[in-house]
Amino acid sequence: MKHIITRKEDLNSGDYVMDVIAPEVAKKFQPGNFAVLLTIPNGERIPMSIERAEGDKITMYIKRLGKTSRELDSWKVGDSFHKIIGPMGTAPTLKEFGTVVFASDLVCGHAENSAMCRELKKIGNNHVISIQSFPTKDDVYPEKELSKEYCDEFILATEDGSVGKKGHYLDIIKDLLEERKIDQVFAGGGIPPLQKLSELTKKYNVPVMTTVRQIMVDATGMCGSCRVFVGGEQKLACIDGPMFDGQKVDWESAISRLAMFKTKEAEAMECYNKEIKELK
Amino acid sequence: MAIKERVPMREQAPEKRIKNFDSVPLGYSIEEAVSEAKRCIQCKNPLCEIGCPVRMKIRDIIHYIAMEDFKSAFLLAKSDNAVPAITGRVCPQEEQCERKCILGKQSKAINIGKLFAFVADWARENNVVEDVKVIENGKKVAIVGAGPAGITCAVDLRKLGYKVSLFEALHMAGGVLQYGIPAFRLPRDVVDYELSFLEKNGVDVELNSIVGQNIDFEDLRNDYDAIYLATGAGAPKFLGCAGEKLKGVYSANEFLIRVNLMKAYKFPKWDTPIICGDKVGVIGCGNVALDSARCAKRLGAKEVYILYRRTKQHAPARIEEILHAEEEGIIFKEMVAPCYMTGTDDGWVNGIQLIKTEFKGVDKSGRKRPVNLENSEHIFELDTVINALGTTPNRLFLSKVPELETYDWGGIKINDNYMTNMDGVFAGGDALTGGSTVIEAMGNGRDAAKVIDEYIKK
Ligand SMILES: Cc1cc2nc3c(=O)[nH]c(=O)nc-3n(C[C@H](O)[C@H](O)[C@H](O)COP(=O)(O)OP(=O)(O)OC[C@H]3O[C@@H](n4cnc5c(N)ncnc54)[C@H](O)[C@@H]3O)c2cc1C
Ligand SMILES: Cc1cc2nc3c(=O)[nH]c(=O)nc-3n(C[C@H](O)[C@H](O)[C@H](O)COP(=O)(O)OP(=O)(O)OC[C@H]3O[C@@H](n4cnc5c(N)ncnc54)[C@H](O)[C@@H]3O)c2cc1C
Ligand code: SF4
Ligand code: SF4
Ligand code: FES
Repeated sequence: MKHIITRKEDLNSGDYVMDVIAPEVAKKFQPGNFAVLLTIPNGERIPMSIERAEGDKITMYIKRLGKTSRELDSWKVGDSFHKIIGPMGTAPTLKEFGTVVFASDLVCGHAENSAMCRELKKIGNNHVISIQSFPTKDDVYPEKELSKEYCDEFILATEDGSVGKKGHYLDIIKDLLEERKIDQVFAGGGIPPLQKLSELTKKYNVPVMTTVRQIMVDATGMCGSCRVFVGGEQKLACIDGPMFDGQKVDWESAISRLAMFKTKEAEAMECYNKEIKELK
Repeated sequence: MAIKERVPMREQAPEKRIKNFDSVPLGYSIEEAVSEAKRCIQCKNPLCEIGCPVRMKIRDIIHYIAMEDFKSAFLLAKSDNAVPAITGRVCPQEEQCERKCILGKQSKAINIGKLFAFVADWARENNVVEDVKVIENGKKVAIVGAGPAGITCAVDLRKLGYKVSLFEALHMAGGVLQYGIPAFRLPRDVVDYELSFLEKNGVDVELNSIVGQNIDFEDLRNDYDAIYLATGAGAPKFLGCAGEKLKGVYSANEFLIRVNLMKAYKFPKWDTPIICGDKVGVIGCGNVALDSARCAKRLGAKEVYILYRRTKQHAPARIEEILHAEEEGIIFKEMVAPCYMTGTDDGWVNGIQLIKTEFKGVDKSGRKRPVNLENSEHIFELDTVINALGTTPNRLFLSKVPELETYDWGGIKINDNYMTNMDGVFAGGDALTGGSTVIEAMGNGRDAAKVIDEYIKK
């Protein structure tokens, strides 16, 4: 099976969206699952959230970050991936919660936001509120890539207030928790805000499910690289997660472990830049 | 008649080989192999064969080698063992075939492993292949897991005419042969070649297919006449102690998967990174521990320690690997057990608390039992810890099929016919035992193929 790119567009100056043919992954996808990408034969197995699955295609939002995501950014429609594997992870059980919020502030969170709101909306009488926050106006995704049309209430926020409400999703959610009865919160994106959100929701006694990103290798439960500690128990983000009860997660170790390969990632980037220069 | 000395195996010199991942043994030349084969006294009652879990026809194979009829030797080897080039390199021969060899009483046993590796390598270099004629029987079997057990079962069933689909979770087939055992023990061109017969003979290999995750087990049950579970024991055990969250603490599986499957030793040409410090401690002394230690050495670690609660004489690792590790400067710190890991303020491991042990009595398996010596705790400074405490059966699959009966520790339960509590679902290899050897897993695969054939024909 050739995993051909059928669409690639910029979402903002840092993020881009890709539609790729991956029928096996699309067929089994449930919101909250992710895919594992092996872009080239000597590439790394990297996890990537799936924003949607339609027909034989999956959609992913990707941040230009290090070597792999930048190299991938140079690819065009018609190019194909070496391998796309998945869907991976355990999708959280969705049910009729009542008033449910999905909050996100970063690429992977935004992808999950759309995927989950779409699904939550289908279930019973859920009242679905989506909050998507961006640093500033220029970072806001094109309207059709926001979760606006999948929820009952959509709140766009920018940290400098240049468009939508002013503040991070943490500020918005705090007000919501003050003002109304919220039954369940979901969130994805940057890890430090997820820790703060978990503390905040705890104060209001509202349950929260958060995506805990960790470094993955096999993503089939065989290496333990992605281990996270939830309520004192060791879990594997790749097969037990990546969504966990945020109020029970040991965030300190999660944040620390996510940065384990920083020096190596910089080295990979340097090497890649050098290769590009030599090509030119 | 005096028995000649064993023909020595040429090896890469230790100073040189710790800088590369190439094979340590260089293999017998034709002259060397023939000369070694001629040492065999062709016993009427070859005890060596009793020592081999798949009962290879060792005596006759060696006879062919001595007669320089390598083709016949290869074909005979292949008739009992789908991957002689692999088992010749990784079997614990000193516990199996070579242990029983009669020559061992007076001199050194015949080097059976290296002779078989020679013959299989010769066949590969000379394009000699076994001729397999498959007469399709129209029945279908699904095999889950492409490690030694799954591969052997797949080949045998294919030869009997079954349409075989082999589902593998990773992006390469081979199981531990691919992701666990390093290339300096088992060169990857050998593995790739030995596995290529799967597709050549029409076994349908489905990579990236994780049964229970992106392939439904129910679908397999509906679509196939029988299923063989050979999912291995790939889930790492952790100590469950303080400090396991620290950066620089790996399970042996993670360390080895990064190095062997993802080729982190070629970083940044290959994308997967690994961080290996200067002073590495490996907990355990089995094959997995030694493989990790020797990989760490090759990644440039200055000091590598094996931390073991017994002495190396009591270790489960192959003797050849212990000798090789010692030559490479791996330091064996014996009679110590780990307590917990200590770390820096920014979350990197910087030491391990050890406690001394002493032998007291024997355990259930008859081995001397190490017990902790009170008040002997001490901190040992390290910057990388690799935990090789063993593995348990992969739980992803098991968690998706709760009806399947297992032991508390995760091993799949079977009856005398390799069948699980589910009709038509068989199991074998490390998924039953929690970890054994390549050849035991293959023997399981072979036996299972027979009972699956009987089951379907019934
Ligand atoms: C469940 C999950 C879902 C994700 N969803 C998305 C998504 O929708 N969009 C997106 O852009 N990114 C997502 N990521 C992160 C993505 O995997 C990394 O951005 C990617 O691996 C970076 O690779 P790189 O070579 O470009 O950067 P690198 O320079 O290699 O790494 C940059 C940072 O990415 C993270 N990272 C690196 N390697 C891995 C790895 N093997 N596994 C996990 N994280 C890694 C680390 O935090 C690292 O510091 C997700 C991660 C997880 C675990
Ligand atoms: C580092 C190391 C060194 C070793 N050294 C030696 C040695 O020198 N000599 C020796 O004899 N033995 C050695 N062993 C032990 C030997 O490798 C194993 O006993 C043997 O590989 C077991 O074979 P298996 O087929 O049961 O399982 P495995 O080789 O573990 O293969 C199982 C396969 O199933 C796949 N799988 C798991 N779950 C699923 C699923 N749900 N769907 C699809 N596929 C799945 C896995 O990805 C894997 O590829 C070593 C083991 C290790 C880890
Ligand atoms: S398969 Fe292993 S035990 Fe059997 S003869 Fe070969 S090396 Fe010896
Ligand atoms: S026991 Fe030793 S000498 Fe006898 S047949 Fe076997 S390998 Fe040859
Ligand atoms: S990524 Fe290896 S266990 Fe999760």
